[in-house]
Amino acid sequence: MTTAATPVRARSFWGRARRCGPWLSVAPFLLIMLVGLILPTVALGFGAFGNGTSDVEAALGGGYRQALWGSLKLSVVCAVLGAVCGLLLARAVLAGGGLLRRLVLTASGVLANFGGVPLAFMFIATIGNAGIVTALIRDWTGFDLANSTFSLYQFGGLVLVYLYFLVPLMVIVIAPALDGVRAEWSEAAANLGATPGQYWRLVAGPLLAPPVMAGALLLFCGSLSAFATAQAMVGGTVPLVTLQIANALSGNVSADHEGVGAALALEMIVLVSIVMAVYWTIERRTARWLR
Amino acid sequence: MRQRNIVLHGLLAAAVVAGVAGCGSSEKAAEAQNNTAAAATATSAAELGGMDALIKAAQAEGQLNVITLPPDWANYGEIIETFSKKYNIKVNSDNPDGSSQDEINAVKSLKGQDRAPDVLDLGGAFAQSGAKEGLFANYKVATWADIPDSQKESNGAWYNDYGGYISIGCDAKKIAVCPTTFADLKKPEYKGKVALNGDPTKSGSAFAGVFAAALANGGSFTNIQPGIDYFAALKKSGNYIPVESTPATIEKGETPISIDWDYLNAGYTKKLAEKGIDWKVAVPSDGVYGNFYCQAINKTAPHPAAARLWEEFLYSDEGQNLWLKGYARPVRLPKMTESGKADSALVAQLPKVEAKAEFPTTDQIDGAKKVLTDGWTKALTG
Amino acid sequence: MTAVLEPTVVRTAAPRRRRRSVDRPIILAIAAVYFLVPLAAAVWFTIEDKRNGGVTGEYYAAIPAADGFAEALRRSLSLAVLTVLGVLLVTVPAMLAVTLRLPKLRPVVEGLSLLPLVIPPIALVAGVRDMLALGPNELAGTPLGDFLVSSQDPELPYILIIVYIVLATPFAYRSLDAGIRSIDAKTLVDAARGLGASWPTVVWRVLLPNLRSAVLGAAFLTLGLVLGEYTIASILLFETLPTWLVKISGSSGQLSVAVSTASLLFTWILLLVVSLADRRKSSGGTA
Repeated sequence: MTTAATPVRARSFWGRARRCGPWLSVAPFLLIMLVGLILPTVALGFGAFGNGTSDVEAALGGGYRQALWGSLKLSVVCAVLGAVCGLLLARAVLAGGGLLRRLVLTASGVLANFGGVPLAFMFIATIGNAGIVTALIRDWTGFDLANSTFSLYQFGGLVLVYLYFLVPLMVIVIAPALDGVRAEWSEAAANLGATPGQYWRLVAGPLLAPPVMAGALLLFCGSLSAFATAQAMVGGTVPLVTLQIANALSGNVSADHEGVGAALALEMIVLVSIVMAVYWTIERRTARWLR
Repeated sequence: MRQRNIVLHGLLAAAVVAGVAGCGSSEKAAEAQNNTAAAATATSAAELGGMDALIKAAQAEGQLNVITLPPDWANYGEIIETFSKKYNIKVNSDNPDGSSQDEINAVKSLKGQDRAPDVLDLGGAFAQSGAKEGLFANYKVATWADIPDSQKESNGAWYNDYGGYISIGCDAKKIAVCPTTFADLKKPEYKGKVALNGDPTKSGSAFAGVFAAALANGGSFTNIQPGIDYFAALKKSGNYIPVESTPATIEKGETPISIDWDYLNAGYTKKLAEKGIDWKVAVPSDGVYGNFYCQAINKTAPHPAAARLWEEFLYSDEGQNLWLKGYARPVRLPKMTESGKADSALVAQLPKVEAKAEFPTTDQIDGAKKVLTDGWTKALTG
Repeated sequence: MTAVLEPTVVRTAAPRRRRRSVDRPIILAIAAVYFLVPLAAAVWFTIEDKRNGGVTGEYYAAIPAADGFAEALRRSLSLAVLTVLGVLLVTVPAMLAVTLRLPKLRPVVEGLSLLPLVIPPIALVAGVRDMLALGPNELAGTPLGDFLVSSQDPELPYILIIVYIVLATPFAYRSLDAGIRSIDAKTLVDAARGLGASWPTVVWRVLLPNLRSAVLGAAFLTLGLVLGEYTIASILLFETLPTWLVKISGSSGQLSVAVSTASLLFTWILLLVVSLADRRKSSGGTA
């Protein structure tokens, strides 16, 4: 098709270069992914199958399966909550414009990469058993958070802390999409007699659905691979695959478990590939009308 | 092994074809090997021509790479500084918070580079597996005879350096009555206050804490299950919180009771006193569990003479006393106490150990680790 | 037209405006509490002077005074700048090409861009280490082997840059993707080409200005990532700002928390400076 459109130029050097243009644009991306991602993954694969299939089988059983399930639960909850809260926050902030927008977007860039021991400590210092807010609440209302059913050191607490870096990530990622939803559209819809509910259901909603879903997928993957925060806060008491991987690959207790660690990492990749396949089928269906 | 390299070769060749710039020269690998070739295979100082020859060779190398040695761990900060000043050798301390596994990985992946670690301080299991893989150089320090046979590898691949016992550290200002046994920890007044130094499946000291609890509850070196059950019960009652105890959480008051190696807890006492915290350390009388770490020299160390000199320094009276200063029990302590070379003031400040101490064998530890890794999460989430 | 429809507009617009102005402050207030209170608690912990009572800035003052500060800072900043440039140069052309000319490649590019986020850094660095180990061993002397070895130069380790670019790609891709979708790139490009613009002009003067917020978002995330990344740098034994900060904090509780809050603040200020490049005063307007 392209050759029919530009028959003369195709014979010249520049014509051929122009046709190769798109491929040249994608080449650096593919190259870096090859060196920085594919090759290390292949090396991981060799590590996982280095002892035959025994490590892979071990990685699929017993405690590891519980960990996989735990990680999945955590990531789904965090992804959904984070996507919703991130969308609401982004909407509230970006509508203002100017200074608030600038401050929040830059802060989000910083916080989206925050985590680990410092993040855990921040929450421990706030609502841990000896936290400042815990003490304040006790002094003001007599309600002792430390002795209540809420605990920072379990699933719920972990979700609360994870949102600290997931929500900013969502904000940054959804901001360009929100910028694209123009005020004129809501006014035009109103002019044509639509209620706000209809506007959201039929105009802005479908427009925002793909990037919101894509953001949720990102949050899902991000919370799946996070581990330093969980390690500092809940140790082995909440079953998570990434903790097991860290123990196997970089621990002080069990030597010679690297094969299992690599197998677990491969498992995670497979899991996410499945999730991504599901995501693509949904995305293709919702975005169809946009084209 | 072969197959993996060939396939990786192929993929990397594809990367080259795609136009990877092959810039850079490998100047580093060449020079180190020449003049220290003799030191690289020496199995004792005598082989090199005596201590003076070793010192000279080490100073010619001028540098030493150490890894995973936090300055506040058993006084390593002062040990490194003393060594560096005494012999005029620059010590590069990498990845102080790393694990034993990280050390093994660094040895393997940085082989032949100037950045590779020269000497290692490892947990026993890693020392054994590393020796099996042939990663270590055989070397016997001048005071080799002082090290008990059960605490060294007969050819000199690895040797115990210092050790300690699991202890219960306690903030006496925040806790009315400090616990001194594992049985004490179950009391309701300690609700939400007891912490380990991390996850027992990853952290060596936390694993030791569970093992000590096992000993205190009817277990043995071959049975760690009572320890797992103990902590499961402790978590259910709310006494045990799974947060990783660090100096920050201790200072904040979140983990006023911390189960950790006695040399670490004792090391905190002075620092915390400055902040107005009275940190008491007690080795629990019902669960006495001790363990030693191991030293090893990287077979392909970029600075082999400096590495050997470092080991000689660590096992000299001076080095062993510096470890003593860090509240750790150096492996030559029994012999040094006999000969009077141990600094008695330092010995006196060690946390008191009541019962006669026994040490588990590496096989027993491996067996226990397997049980723990399989059962810990299940027990604590159930 | 407006005259006929005015009554309708007045009736529906007013209630909507009122409702909007109620939920916005509530959301902002909740967010402010959630994000700022824990930060304040940590900062309070670091400035408490436990010895004499009152407050002290000694832990923050100790950071620049510690040995090696300037070097670690310089190295991390260089890594950060190079990584941002690398990420943009790699992802922007690729995504534009995929959107406009090679839509079949989209699943490949999208899948590749999401994978780095899924593999835990610990596992990724294990694979990178194995790959690097080939340099001095099996591939010694070959240009590729030399490349692998020289990429680990402790002064400016560009293996770290490569890995960081890979790590930043998921974020950059999402940010840019949202931007590209929202500006309807195809129509813009067709219009510009129809008016006779060449490809460089189309990209530089039509597409990129419209993608400004997406590009800046990608840059922010990348900068934040490089200045905060600890695991990979520490396992590969390089000294960057985060690893240096952990090294100096040792076993002092207040100092270790102080370095993390200082690092947060520093990165935020840096990003604010970078954001001055976005001179757009008002927002695009959201519904």
